[in-house]
Amino acid sequence: MVDLPSPTQPGTIDAIAPESARRVRLRRFKELAAKVLSNPATVLGFVIIFAMLFMAIFAPWLVAPNVPDPYQMPRDWAATRMPPGTPGHPLGTTNEGGDVFYGVVWGTRMSLQLSLIVVFSTVVIGSIIGSLAAYFGGKVDEFLMRVVDVFLSIPELIFALAIAAILGPSFGNIMFALIVVFWVKYARIMRARVIQIKGSEYIDAARIIGDSNINIYLRDILPNSFTPVMVQATLDMGNVVLIAATLSFIGLGQAGIAEWGVLVSEGQAGIASGRWWASTFPGLMIFLWALAFNLVGDGLRDALDPRTEGR
Amino acid sequence: MSAAPDPHPTPASRPDRAVLSLKGVKKHFPIREGAFQRVTGWVRAVDGVSFDIRPGETVGLVGESGCGKSTLGRCVSGLTDVTAGGVYFDLPAEASRLLDNIASGTATDAEKARVAQIEAAHRIDRLQGAGYKRFRRNCQMVFQDSFASLNPRHLVVDIVGRSLRVYKEASGTELTERVVELLEQVGMGRQHLYRYPHQFSGGQRQRISIARALATNPDVIILDEPTSALDVSVQAQILNLLSDLQKQHNLAYLFITHDLSVVRHMADRLVVMYLGKVSEAGVTSDVFDAPHHPYTRALMEAKPDIEGAASEQAQGLDGVVPDPARPPRGCRFHTRCHMATPSCGWEVDDVIRRLEDIPGLFDALSGVERKSDFAASLTFGDAAAAERLVSILDSDGIPAAMRSAMGRLERRDRTVSVAFDEVPDVDLRITEPGRVASCVLSPIEVFQGVNE
Ligand SMILES: Nc1ncnc2c1ncn2[C@@H]1O[C@H](COP(=O)(O)OP(=O)(O)OP(=O)(O)O)[C@@H](O)[C@H]1O
Ligand code: SF4
Ligand SMILES: [Mg+2]
Repeated sequence: MVDLPSPTQPGTIDAIAPESARRVRLRRFKELAAKVLSNPATVLGFVIIFAMLFMAIFAPWLVAPNVPDPYQMPRDWAATRMPPGTPGHPLGTTNEGGDVFYGVVWGTRMSLQLSLIVVFSTVVIGSIIGSLAAYFGGKVDEFLMRVVDVFLSIPELIFALAIAAILGPSFGNIMFALIVVFWVKYARIMRARVIQIKGSEYIDAARIIGDSNINIYLRDILPNSFTPVMVQATLDMGNVVLIAATLSFIGLGQAGIAEWGVLVSEGQAGIASGRWWASTFPGLMIFLWALAFNLVGDGLRDALDPRTEGR
Repeated sequence: MSAAPDPHPTPASRPDRAVLSLKGVKKHFPIREGAFQRVTGWVRAVDGVSFDIRPGETVGLVGESGCGKSTLGRCVSGLTDVTAGGVYFDLPAEASRLLDNIASGTATDAEKARVAQIEAAHRIDRLQGAGYKRFRRNCQMVFQDSFASLNPRHLVVDIVGRSLRVYKEASGTELTERVVELLEQVGMGRQHLYRYPHQFSGGQRQRISIARALATNPDVIILDEPTSALDVSVQAQILNLLSDLQKQHNLAYLFITHDLSVVRHMADRLVVMYLGKVSEAGVTSDVFDAPHHPYTRALMEAKPDIEGAASEQAQGLDGVVPDPARPPRGCRFHTRCHMATPSCGWEVDDVIRRLEDIPGLFDALSGVERKSDFAASLTFGDAAAAERLVSILDSDGIPAAMRSAMGRLERRDRTVSVAFDEVPDVDLRITEPGRVASCVLSPIEVFQGVNE
């Protein structure tokens, strides 16, 4: 057999002689991870994200939770407007005696919850709707894509602002508004991907074998749509927090909660009188959060470019 | 393969049956235009094709690019619904005759009553449940693009073993061992189990595709240009492999290719297609010895000989393939046929085609009033242009056959009226036992190459 490569042929992995599917998949994952981590900016993004995750997960151990509601800022009326470095208040306190460090730490936990819930639900909703549009085509597709076009023609921030404003200031309403606004991108990505993959020959090959539609969706279509969805989801982890903070900042947030946007908003009045800390530290967190997810999202996009991936 | 008795009774053991039988298969694709995507016409990719594939034989399907070979292959494998006609799986000869009688209108009432039953049991788009499953397992396909037809994220073991999972035949180590057996049958082995498609050469990927097709233990495999993307040396290996596998498993092949030299060695019988229709069919060696259709002859002459130079007196194929949305009348090949006669279907479109080659004159054309495909009035911007068309149509610049088919050619001021003799479409007819061709000429005339 002349066309079988010799063990030393470049581009093959004969020399390693893999003996199990698990090992091959693990190696492929490691190769991809190495490719992603070869970009220093991406590494920086991951470092920030891990620090944030640490803070969010271990929040109760870093600062004792406020009772009864840990997401409500504690009030120490005996220590209002304290500067950073005050014993017991490393980042100072707010006008109402709220510990800024508490807001930073528990705000991280809130941001993580917010972004995970919003991104998870929008990925699911968007993927289902996009897949249905691609699967049924015709009138169904046309209708769904018109809806998506309308949504996409309104800037995210303005749209979320309008919904949140109608529903009234509350954290739950901001979350709801974000879900309404963010699912469309996934619908569009999924639809394009499903249509593209549905037309590929390996789908025909699976149909020729006699595999079921649901199996083909789960085994061929979904895994091959994963990369662009994951990149967008990573970017949105940052965008969601940024927009939520913006909405809170302009007054649609829930007063008194440990949310970065609310803290920046409530602390801004003091800046003119030199009390910069109440706004600055939460603001820095918003910046770092958005930066980190954008760095990682861009890094993933470059490393997992579907045109080069899998080759 | 294991020596266990085959749980799926195969038609291979009963040669009085066709593994696959095509009866008047048509596939038309809608042409959509404008903002509302209205259907403005139909691409007649496959336009009434009938032939049988018998157990263990190779049928070669040849024709130029765009003549509908792949579309036909997809119809036969059930990937595409047919527009009209039917594809039948495991069809007994007696049922086949009955269906033919129905088509030709000579069926008795008793026969008519049986049709529904036959269709439910054999027509691939009517099969249900176990019947469909049996068809699906027994009819496999290998595609031209070995890269595109293998999921880039799946390992070889998953690709080749997939059908074993689907039909719950094996799992775990048993599945792995079955896949190793299949890989060994195609000249590969255990060391390739846990690799991705991109880690192989084109020839190896095609072997993987073949192993995947073999996994369901099929009766027939549709091979759509399986070697066209490969280097010549690799091509020969894959063809040998296919021949060996055919003998071992009594496989039937529908071998689709545009390369006559490939089917010459592979195919027992040949079906030559042109613009969605069969132009000639017969035993391969007979067709090569003496083509009964000028198109087949031209295809064979157009093929450069071994030295790479076209032979001296070869007329070959020139001109473009007409639009399959509006195929020529009479004989579809008449626009390019070197032997065309006045009764080959000359029509108004032939005048239009000539006009298109003369830009100045075509631009001067201001209106065409068609009375039929065979008669029309063409109005020009000025009388001089009209006169020019008349002189062209009356000159040696156009085929003599076309001129003699022109029953009328007259100019009245700026308008030229042309009318051709109306002729019926040229149908397939039996030219010899086991041979059919769709040409008005006799095989002898085709052999001698009359007219030119
Ligand atoms: N899905 C489709 N929609 C519309 N038209 C199509 C479609 N598939 C094929 N066609 C048209 O049908 C005709 C036949 O195409 P087909 O691919 O079957 O030809 P082919 O003989 O396989 O050619 P090739 O040698 O290039 O593979 C062509 O005119 C093609 O443009
Ligand atoms: S009928 Fe025969 S001779 Fe006439 S155009 Fe067709 S192929 Fe040529
Ligand atoms: Mg083709």
